Amino acid sequence: MTSENFFSSVKEEARKNYIAIFEQDWPAWLAGIFLAVLALLIFLWDTPWGIAGGYRNWGDWFLYGVGVNSQKPFLPWQHPMSMSNFGIFAGALMSALMSRQFKIRRAPSLEYAKGIMGGVLMGCGAAFAGGCNVGGFYTATGMLSMGGIAMMMGLGAGAWIGLRYLLWEMENISMKPLVLKKKSAPFLGVNWDKVQPYIGAGLFIAVVVAFYLYSSIDKSTLGGILFFGFLIGLVMHRSRFCFVRAFRCPFMTGEADMVKVVAMSLMIYGMGSAVIKWAWIKDPMVGVYHPFFLGSLGGGLIFGVGMILAGGCASSTLWRIGEGHVKLVMTLMGFSLANALTQKFIAVYNLSEKIGKGVFMPDLFSWGMTIPLFIIFFLVWVFVAIWNEESEKFVIF
Amino acid sequence: MDLTNIEVTQVVDTCGLSCPMPLLKTKKALKALKSGEILEVLGNDPGSKYDLPEWGDKGDNEFLGMVDVDDGATRYFIKKG
Repeated sequence: MTSENFFSSVKEEARKNYIAIFEQDWPAWLAGIFLAVLALLIFLWDTPWGIAGGYRNWGDWFLYGVGVNSQKPFLPWQHPMSMSNFGIFAGALMSALMSRQFKIRRAPSLEYAKGIMGGVLMGCGAAFAGGCNVGGFYTATGMLSMGGIAMMMGLGAGAWIGLRYLLWEMENISMKPLVLKKKSAPFLGVNWDKVQPYIGAGLFIAVVVAFYLYSSIDKSTLGGILFFGFLIGLVMHRSRFCFVRAFRCPFMTGEADMVKVVAMSLMIYGMGSAVIKWAWIKDPMVGVYHPFFLGSLGGGLIFGVGMILAGGCASSTLWRIGEGHVKLVMTLMGFSLANALTQKFIAVYNLSEKIGKGVFMPDLFSWGMTIPLFIIFFLVWVFVAIWNEESEKFVIF
Repeated sequence: MDLTNIEVTQVVDTCGLSCPMPLLKTKKALKALKSGEILEVLGNDPGSKYDLPEWGDKGDNEFLGMVDVDDGATRYFIKKG
């Protein structure tokens, strides 16, 4: 083989792989596995994965800035959940750039209003539930905290109410569709479609450099969390991973795909953390603080309505912003502020004791029973969803 | 099939709307059509590129295809079954 041939075949191979990774969609089940593995790695590396805590940190800064809070919050680049949020955003943005999908995406004004409202509801619900769809449901369940299951019930009920509203809105409020602009001449003489992947690659290098910089000042933990967040953002954007679908689609189209993926991902996450906790590699009570059951259930319900209005939960809000959706920037602002304010409200009125306390599944059922019950519970969820896909019993539209 | 010259019964414009609104509007419009009629959905949410082809083929309906328009939107065609 001549060297010219060799290089051209290497180039062709690289091109094919690039298309497979950045242009074709990743299957959701693969993302479900990656997500559980990454969440377990974050747990082993530092503390369990969450998102709302980072949003609250940003909201606290606003409250501190306008003088509502007198205590100075953590700096966002020293706050673990804020750092993993930066990572998720950067990962999604890189992924959107690599696949040439980044674009500022506007929406009609009613959609912006729904984005803010949805964010406010999610922020409020997450404060009551002790976390968002990630910290309060996904990670809570993975950490074997009963609050996760209670929030799951709330999310389902909230999604049902939210969907009822969307159907009402569709019948009663007419919305003018957005008039799109024709593709304009290249901005500043640059063809952005060609440049996007290079900016994406630059972003990847920047995140790696950031990790080594954090490492050099003895903050490897924070740098690592940024990098794990980055991988989560990449996985979520490439697969368009959306927790909302698991709760909404059974009522909307009857589709059960996302229920299967979330259930499978939770089984991996839960069994992984059972190994870690049972063997005392980490204290078993780590990540078990969700207010079971009133806080988790009620918070989940409010959150569930919000995520339907916003069209994104805490995690998909982040990756959709990375793709350029303006509506979800508003959601993020509403979420951060409402979460910080509700948290303050709960503290001032001493509500945290009244809405429940962290319950560890093995304390309730013993270790021996927890694992089979956990698996059976999620299998039942999947089978009900599959049955509903055929019978459309729960489909309301 | 030549999608650019296809004759459609109804057009639903979902530009600017994001998940799940395009799918909801599609489902609603399709309910009102008669068997064999064709619905065109216009939209620019990247999620629709995966949702609509998959959902449009469910049941008796048939997803005929999609065409990108130069303003960043995509036209989707679904035949009611």
